[in-house]
Parts: sequence; C-alpha cells; structure tokens
Amino acid sequence: METLLMDRVQSSLRLFMPKNAIFLCERLCAEFPTESNLQLLANCYLGNNQAYCAYHILKGKQMPQSRYLFAISCFQMNLLREAEAALSPANEPNSEVPNGAAGHYLLGLIYRYTSRRSSAVDHFTQALSIDPLLWAAYEELCILGAVGGASDYFSDVAASRIQQQYLSESSSHKISIGDEDRSIQSSRVLGLNDSSPKQPKNLHSNSIKEISNTHVVMAAGQAANSGSSNLSLYNTPSPVASQLSGIAPPPLCRNGFFNAVSCDGSSKPAANAAILAPRRKAMEEGRLRKVSGRLFSDSGPRRSTRLSGEATAGINSNASQAGGGTGTNHSSSSRFLGGFSSSSSKTSSAAFRTMTGRKGPSCISESFDEGRRKTEVFGDSCGEDASATMSSVAIFVDCRYLEEDKINLHAGGLSVHDSKLINGIRELLGLLRTLGEGYRFSCMHRSQEALEVYQKLSQNQYNTGWVLSQIGKAHFEMVDYFEAARFFDLARRVSPYSLEGMDIYSTILYHLKEEMKLSYLAQELISTDRLAPQAWCAMGNCYSLQKDHETALKNFQRAVHLDSRFAYAHTLSGHEYVALEDFENGIKCYQRALQVDERHYNSWYGLGVIYLRQEKFQFAEHHFRRAFFINPRSSVLMCYLGMSLHSLRRNEEALEMIEKAILADPKNPLPLYQKANILLSLERYDEALMNLDQLKECAPQETSVYALMGKIYKKLNMHEKAMFYFGLALDLKPPATDVAIIKSAMEKLYLPDEMGDSL
Amino acid sequence: MATESEGEEDAATAAGKLTGIPQLSVEDDLREMANKAAWSVSSCKPGNGVLSLRDDNLDTYWQSDGAQPHLVNIQFQKKVKLQLLVLYVDFKLDESYTPSKISIRAGDGFHNLKEIKTVELVKPVGWVHISLSGTDPRETFIHTFMLQLAVLSNHLNGRDTHIRQIKVYGPRPNPVPRQPFHFTSPEFITYSCLR
Repeated sequence: METLLMDRVQSSLRLFMPKNAIFLCERLCAEFPTESNLQLLANCYLGNNQAYCAYHILKGKQMPQSRYLFAISCFQMNLLREAEAALSPANEPNSEVPNGAAGHYLLGLIYRYTSRRSSAVDHFTQALSIDPLLWAAYEELCILGAVGGASDYFSDVAASRIQQQYLSESSSHKISIGDEDRSIQSSRVLGLNDSSPKQPKNLHSNSIKEISNTHVVMAAGQAANSGSSNLSLYNTPSPVASQLSGIAPPPLCRNGFFNAVSCDGSSKPAANAAILAPRRKAMEEGRLRKVSGRLFSDSGPRRSTRLSGEATAGINSNASQAGGGTGTNHSSSSRFLGGFSSSSSKTSSAAFRTMTGRKGPSCISESFDEGRRKTEVFGDSCGEDASATMSSVAIFVDCRYLEEDKINLHAGGLSVHDSKLINGIRELLGLLRTLGEGYRFSCMHRSQEALEVYQKLSQNQYNTGWVLSQIGKAHFEMVDYFEAARFFDLARRVSPYSLEGMDIYSTILYHLKEEMKLSYLAQELISTDRLAPQAWCAMGNCYSLQKDHETALKNFQRAVHLDSRFAYAHTLSGHEYVALEDFENGIKCYQRALQVDERHYNSWYGLGVIYLRQEKFQFAEHHFRRAFFINPRSSVLMCYLGMSLHSLRRNEEALEMIEKAILADPKNPLPLYQKANILLSLERYDEALMNLDQLKECAPQETSVYALMGKIYKKLNMHEKAMFYFGLALDLKPPATDVAIIKSAMEKLYLPDEMGDSL
Repeated sequence: MATESEGEEDAATAAGKLTGIPQLSVEDDLREMANKAAWSVSSCKPGNGVLSLRDDNLDTYWQSDGAQPHLVNIQFQKKVKLQLLVLYVDFKLDESYTPSKISIRAGDGFHNLKEIKTVELVKPVGWVHISLSGTDPRETFIHTFMLQLAVLSNHLNGRDTHIRQIKVYGPRPNPVPRQPFHFTSPEFITYSCLR
C-alpha cells in the first residue's frame, strides 16, 4: 500500500493536482510515518504554496533532505535565521550542506538577504563549482558584483564535471579533453574500490566507503534508487552516500538541465519495489524532486532486462560503477557511467529513468539510443560475469584500459554517444558562457561590451524575451533611451507575458515622456499579473509622469508590499518622496533599497540628490561617488559628482569630472552646461561662453543656455548682448520662476550692480 | 485637479471684484504648498473646524464663530515662495455666510503681518483665484513665513462666514538641485536625472 500511495502522490504532483497529492500523502504519512514520507508530504505542501505546513511537519528533522526542505519553507516564510540554522547548524560547522549545489545556493540567498555578502559569495561560488549549470547562482554572483569572468565558471573544467555526471565512462575519454578523461577516469576509479587517487573534482567521493561496500553499495544503491525512484520522488542513494546529494537543482527551478534525479548519490536506476521496501529505510537522503523523471524498477536481478531497462533509461544508465553506485554522491559518479554501470549493476535491477522535461541539449537524447544499443551489447558481454563486483571490476579494469588504450570496442561504440553528449555539454556551456559574460558586463554596467557579447548569440537565443530585455537594459544604462525602448518593445512582442525587466521599460517611457505608451504598458502589465511588483512600478511611473506624485507613491508602495526584495520599487518610492519634498521618507526608502541590493546605484544617486538639496555637500559628494564607483560609465552620474564637487568648491576636481562626463557621452549636453556654470563661478567667462555656444547648436530650444549666456554677458558688461540673450530666453517661455529672475536681471542691467546681487 | 490653462480666468473687470469659476485651473508649474503648513483659524463652530478647509471635500466647510474679522492663518516652517491663493465659496448655498471682502496679509509672524492684497467678491460660486503677485515681474512671488486670510465682511452683512476649501500655490522647485535655471528642452531634461 505504501508504494502504491507514494506512486499516486508523485504522479499527482507531476500532474499538478496538489490537493489530491496532499490528501493521499497525509494518509500515507499516517500509515507509515517515516521521514521520507514526511519529506514527500512537505513537497506536496510546498507545491501548493503552503510553506507553513511544510515548516511544521519538518521542524526538527535531521535528515539532510528534510533539512533542505525545511530551509526552503523557512525561506518562503521569511524566517531566514531558522533556514540558515537548518542548512548549516551552528554546532556542526563542518557538516555538509544538504543537496549540494542547491543547498549552497539557498544558503547564499539567505546570507545575501541578511547582508553577509562575503559568505553569500562563497556559497554561490561553491554551488557553481558543484554544479556549473546553476545559472541562478551565477546571476546572484553578478548581482553581488563578485564575478571574475563567465569563462571561469562555464569553463572546460565545468564541462568535464558535467560530463562526469552524464557521460558513460568509456566513451568520454575518447573525445573528451585530457583532463576530462582523467576526471572521468578518476570517478570510475573511485568505483573501483581502489584507492586510486581521486581527482579533486570528484570531491565527495571521499565520503564514499568504497571497497567494502562497493558491491553492497552498488546493489543497495541500485536498489535504493530504483526503489525510491520508482516512485519518482526520491532517489535514495545508497546508504554509503554521504550527505551531499549530487547535483540537485534548486527546487524552484529547472527541470531542464539535469537528470538531476539521476544524481542522487549513487543513483542507480532500478530496483525492485520489493527489494526496495527494506532498502529504502536504509537509504539516507531523499532527493528533493525527481526533476527529470522516474525510475521504473525492473523486477529482480534479470540482467538483460535490467540492462535494457537501463539502456532505455537513456541518459542515466548509471554508472554502475561502484563509483556511481557507491553512493558517491557527487553527481559525477552517479551519472551515467553508461553501459558499464549497468553491467556492473548486475545485481540490481535496472531502472529506467525517463528523463521527462529534459532540456538538455538534444544530442544527448539521441545519444541515448545509441548508448542503449551499445549498452546492451556490452551488458550481454559482461553478463557472463558472476558477481557484480567482479564484473564491475572487470569493467573498471576495462575502462581503465580503455582510457589508456582507447581501443575498446564497446568504448568505441559508446563513445559516439558520449561524444554527442560532450558536444552537447560544450554547446550548452558555450551558450551559458556567452550569456554569462553578457549578464556580467550588464551588472558591471559595461553596457557596450555587454551588447557586443550578446551579438554573438544565435538567432534563436537572441530573439527571446530575456536576451532582448537585457539588451534593452544595456541601452538604458548607456542613456540611449530610443534604442532601449525599441528593444523592449521587441521583447514584449516576443514574450508578451513576461514581466521581467518591464519596470525598466516603464522608466524608459517615462524618460521619453511617452504618456500613451506608458499607460498602455501599465494597463497591460496589471492585467497580466496583478501581483507582480513590476506592473505596479509601471503604473506608478505613469502617474509620476503626470506629476501626480501622491498616487504614484501609493502604487510604488504597493509594489513594495508585494515584494519587499524588489529594490527598484523602493528606489522609485524614494524618488516620489523627493518630488513631494519629503526628504526624510525619501532617505528611508533609498536606504531600504540599498539594504536589498547594495549595488543599486540609483539609490545612491537618489541619496546624493537629497543631500545636495539639503546643502549637505559632503554627504552628497560621498553618495555620488559611491554611485559612480558602481557604475563608472554613466555620464549623468559624473555630471552630478562634478556638481557636488563644485558646491564643495573643489572646482579643479569638478572640472576634471565634467571633462570625463563629456568624453563619456558626447550626446549628453548637461556636462557642457555644468562646465560653463563652473567656469562662470571661476570667472573664466570666455571659456564659459565658448561652451555655451557649443550647446546652442545641440539644444537650440533650451532657455537655460540663453539665460546663462545673458548672465555672463551681464558680468562682462556687454549689455546689448545680455539683453539679446535674455530676450531669447524669455521668448522660449521658461517657467515662471525663471521669468522672474530673467526679467529682474534685465531691469538691473542698466543699474549698477548691487551688493549681493544673485545674478 | 490642476489643469493647464492659459491663465486664471478671473472676471476681474471691476477693480478687484471677483466671482468664482466652477473649475480649479492652476498652471502646471505651480504646486500646492500648504501641506506642510500649520493652519489655524480665529474661531470655529464645533464640527466645522479648520480640517474642513483642507479635506478636499467641497461639502464640508469652516464656519467661524466670533467677531469679525475672521482669520485663517497659514504658517510655514521656512520662508516659501507663494504665488496663488485659491478658495472655494458658494453664494447659492451659503448666502449671508459668503465672504465679501477679503484681505490677505503676509509676514514673519503675527507681530509683523502686512497687508498685500484686498479683494472683493460679488456673489461668488466656485473657486476664486487670488494671485499674490505684484505688478513687477520681480514680484511674481511673495517670500514669506506666514500668510493670513482675513474675512472683513460677508454678503448681506452676515456675521459668521463659511469657506469650503482653501489652497495655496507656489512654484515647483527645480528638479535638478543647485541650478540657476530650469531646463526646458527635452534634450536637457532627458539627461538631467536618473530614475
């Protein structure tokens, strides 16, 4: 009954029937209150957005998978301290983090939101080293500004690691790069009960108790795997398996990349349900979710069936090798060691894994068929072996020879499928590398370079919503609003349901003063998703454009309530407070934004503006400098920094900064204007006039230019010219304050300069 | 709300005589200043106090309850530039409670208020816009800490007065701080700030 229930629960989960799953699972837990059943129940609750239920049932449980699920529920309920305690208990500083990469990723997030940046960076890096395809961790690193180069993460080293996870042993070496060979070899060797030196990559293998357990493990592992996997949720690795489960994808995401499932430690596909039941208890970790699919167990020890089963399982024909089987948790071993493993697993039944929803490179799937054929061949040949161990040893020996000789026929056969796998991995890594570089440049605000990198993408990838919005963002950072708007428009056409980055699009439309488009965008976004902060940001921008700052503020506050970790909503609220001249609240909002994301230079800028207004020039300069430090390419920031330096009377530095701004973006007229202003205060009138003349060309309708020129001519006592320019300025209908100033200046022109004349 | 208009449509044909207009029309470059001011009145009937002057509700009104002149005092924390005062009165509803002669005074505090303007209302219905500017372009704004609106007499010689809403407007500050002039062209405005 238990397995039946488990099976139904998992299929309900897969088919998105959470209520059914929850009900059945509760019955299951009542009958068989084991911890893995509790984990399953927690899964159901999490799937139904009831993190609090999962929290309660998993409180205090110690199994790594339970701790991981518990941490997830705490995180969703915003109980960050408890989540952290669950994942890395304070009194056991050296215990492994459950679920490897996913656990590290979650820990990283927790540290990030509790402002412990360096620990966060550490964990994200670790997550990425365990699982190089964990894009979310890479993204977080970029946001924290701690990324060296995308190629570091999506490198060949990473490729080899993934290969270990996926590839069958033999084939890989043929085609793989040298060190990959070695790593694979090492993983295989691990299986081999030898104390063969392990390569550093396959770290977790250390935890494997190899030799003695090898075949037990293998069997167990397989059994275990199949057992649990049978019901698809958990691949319980063999008992040997250490805490870490190989590469578990973070629960929130991806089905795609991994046969994550395959990874559970020694995951061996297959096992008999019957065999399983007892074995399962022995198994340690459950894995969070079988992303990819399910293992079916074959009955008993029928090798051929097993083998074929495994073969059909496709991707993970697991590395039997003890390496795989041995519950080395790390994915490398567990993954496929193709046909070999299957054969070695003779003892256990083969399990299939259907990789559902695998988004891996398609070539991998193709390779399976080939692999299957080879596996069978190989399996048969090995079938003769008596004991699993012996066969496995034989296989390993073979493998080793293979690697050395690269002659083995089977290996050859398998290598074709492996080569496809390798190619697939390489392609994927290449793609991720490009995207990673682009994203990194974006985060470091090196927009020009980011754009160049994105150009390298293939047409298909380029024309996706994500990439197009990133490009739009890059243009936005370069203050090229037209281009940015164009790209965002494209992005919206490609994926009209996606809200990512739409807040930036609304800001662009705000800058371009496109009321119609902006209100249309806002309406659309709200109708798509009323609970998305981006939609309310767009709405707020719309009201702000119409100068209705109070309503705009309300909208931004709504966005903040929906997601307090969305930094931009805080920043925009800050802007509105400033527009309403409520500087205290403005400062608070900006600071909140900075708490969420320290590299949000808009908030630094906002704080600088407030202090500039309040005439606290030192503070203003400090904040602008921080903003400038984060985004050294923004001419607007440079301009403001120059202005604050000028207010501090550090005119030389101010001029330097302004020069930089002028060079950085020739289309920006403001630095020139500021320069003229500074020169005026330094009494270098002619230079000032030169600059303003230049400005006249690019912005002929700008009243402030003419007004300033008039002012300078007045200082130079060239009254006719002054009058001329003042008149020009007035003709262009400046706002009332300026009219007052200009008119009074005109009146005073022919009077002697009074003391304390403001003009 | 504030709508853009060519200029306030005061029917100021007769010297200083005003009638109200149904629409509140204020230029775009003005903004309401009195949110952060301290408002007080010389006297009021319970339930019709000073809050009714600021609640954006034209059905509620302030009713005075003492001797004339009735005063509304608006005090700011720092010197501000003010350009326009707008009040909503309704002769049809209030008849003898409708103010007829209003004096506007400004100064640093109660001790040195000086009258800057006197207006006469003739059966006003709607918003009455009273510009605070002088004739000189240099005097578009008044710089002051405090503004006082004194109701000197009512229509039909009524004793107490009703005023339904009062708003005070001043210029918008330059969004870019520390600049001598505002930016008007789109090229400048686009680059003038980050958002």
